Amino acid sequence: MSVSVELKGIGQSYPPPEEGGEMVEVVRDVNLTLGSGINMLLGPSGCGKSTLLKLMGGVRPYNVASPTAGEVLIDGEPCMGPHDDAVMVFQTYANRPDLSVRDNVALPFRFGLWKKRVPKAEQDQRVTEMLESVGLAEKAELMPAQLSGGQNQRVALARALVLRPRILLMDEPFGALDAQTREEMQHLLIKLYKQQPCLVVFVTHDVTEALLLGDRVLVLSTRPATIADDFEISEPRPRSQTWSRSTEATKMEERVLNQLHESSSGKGSVRVSI
Amino acid sequence: MWNPYQELPSGTRRGLGIGSVSLVLVIWAVLSGLSLVAKAKLPAPWECVDAFILLAWDATRGESLLWLATKASVMRVLVAGVVVCLIGIPVGILMGASPKVNSALSPLVDPFRSAPIVAIQPVMVMWFGIDELSKILFLFLGAVVYLIPMVRDAMQAVPRTYYISARDLGASPWEAIRHAVIPMAMPRIADGVIVSISVMWTYITVAEYVNAKVGLGQLIANSKRMSSMPKVFVGIFVIVALALITYAGMTWLKKKLFPWEAT
Repeated sequence: MSVSVELKGIGQSYPPPEEGGEMVEVVRDVNLTLGSGINMLLGPSGCGKSTLLKLMGGVRPYNVASPTAGEVLIDGEPCMGPHDDAVMVFQTYANRPDLSVRDNVALPFRFGLWKKRVPKAEQDQRVTEMLESVGLAEKAELMPAQLSGGQNQRVALARALVLRPRILLMDEPFGALDAQTREEMQHLLIKLYKQQPCLVVFVTHDVTEALLLGDRVLVLSTRPATIADDFEISEPRPRSQTWSRSTEATKMEERVLNQLHESSSGKGSVRVSI
Repeated sequence: MWNPYQELPSGTRRGLGIGSVSLVLVIWAVLSGLSLVAKAKLPAPWECVDAFILLAWDATRGESLLWLATKASVMRVLVAGVVVCLIGIPVGILMGASPKVNSALSPLVDPFRSAPIVAIQPVMVMWFGIDELSKILFLFLGAVVYLIPMVRDAMQAVPRTYYISARDLGASPWEAIRHAVIPMAMPRIADGVIVSISVMWTYITVAEYVNAKVGLGQLIANSKRMSSMPKVFVGIFVIVALALITYAGMTWLKKKLFPWEAT
């Protein structure tokens, strides 16, 4: 599947929080072209990662203000409105507590857009397959409150992927999970990506996670965010522990950490998990 | 003792509640029984019981005044309650769904939350007469000014992520409100309904003050006029009991309808 997202000279400033203050410049002159693959977005906290991530799905007025400079191109076309094929997954799942797991995954098919696009029989089939893929087939009739955090995040992921999006935006999706569950989810993402390759942008704090998942790693500087580093990882997934301990991987890790420390000069938080 | 989160055994909890109520009853009985307070001001508990029995079944007339009054008042609250929900919930949802609608309507609604609604009653009588209509309208007004802001606030309290997520998944703005925001706001909307119906019971006496042929408020007003304090007390107790029953019923229903609400 070919898909591209291009950010051209993107700058974003927000009005001052208090009257008479100065404009807060969050993003400065970011030029970037992303293609299919898992793109990891790393940066010190509060650096504008989220703003950049939101812009990558097209400028959606309900989610992110129009950039103060530059434009977003999706498949070469300027995209200053919501884009049908971009879906975002949040750290907080956003599952409906009053719907079963199955109904949560099928939720988008209640919307006119997808009702028209996907025939009913195919909707049911997709939902069933998706539940199978994320390992929730047995739990389809349970309610979100009966699930663990990891399982809830699986529901959110299934709900996004059931639409077969071409652009999948993930805002620190596994940030709230414990280490073991996070690892399970990372493997699940690798498996799902194999089944449904698309353009993934994955925001994380975690350098290890970035090296484990990414085809490409983008490191942002502190506010205003600019691209501080950008490199590719050719090692095929799933990546073994042996690779993680190889000189290649440790060098990459050091490179990212140095960049983060340099740009954040001690501020912000960066996590390395083992 | 000073631990807000202490879990009390149900025996202790009930014991303390019954104890404090009994204490008040005893003080009441002593004050009135020993005539420490004039009988005309404070009837004895047993006089109230007598009055209750007389009102519950008047053998000479062969009818239950209390039942007729209760039926009339319950009907008024019921009708007004249905209208309050039918109008208050949609208006609150629209205000909660759009800051523009909210800006336009909130100056018309919010000030009335702290307005002396009771003072509006004569106006209602002037405009809508002294019949059923003005009574229902008064109850409606008194409650709807609570319900609308509560529904609006319930909508606004839903985390924005739900709306954004639905929009991202392809929902139109209204679909996102319909399928993501409203369902999440429902438990708090139900709280709003419970509060506003409860408020109606406090307004029922005022509503029935003018030209009510029958009703608990009318019963109280008439008994006062005839200086029958025991009957006034009975009227008050019945209204309180009805309010408690309504509250308990609605709270139970809310738990049934929204079992998923975070505890």
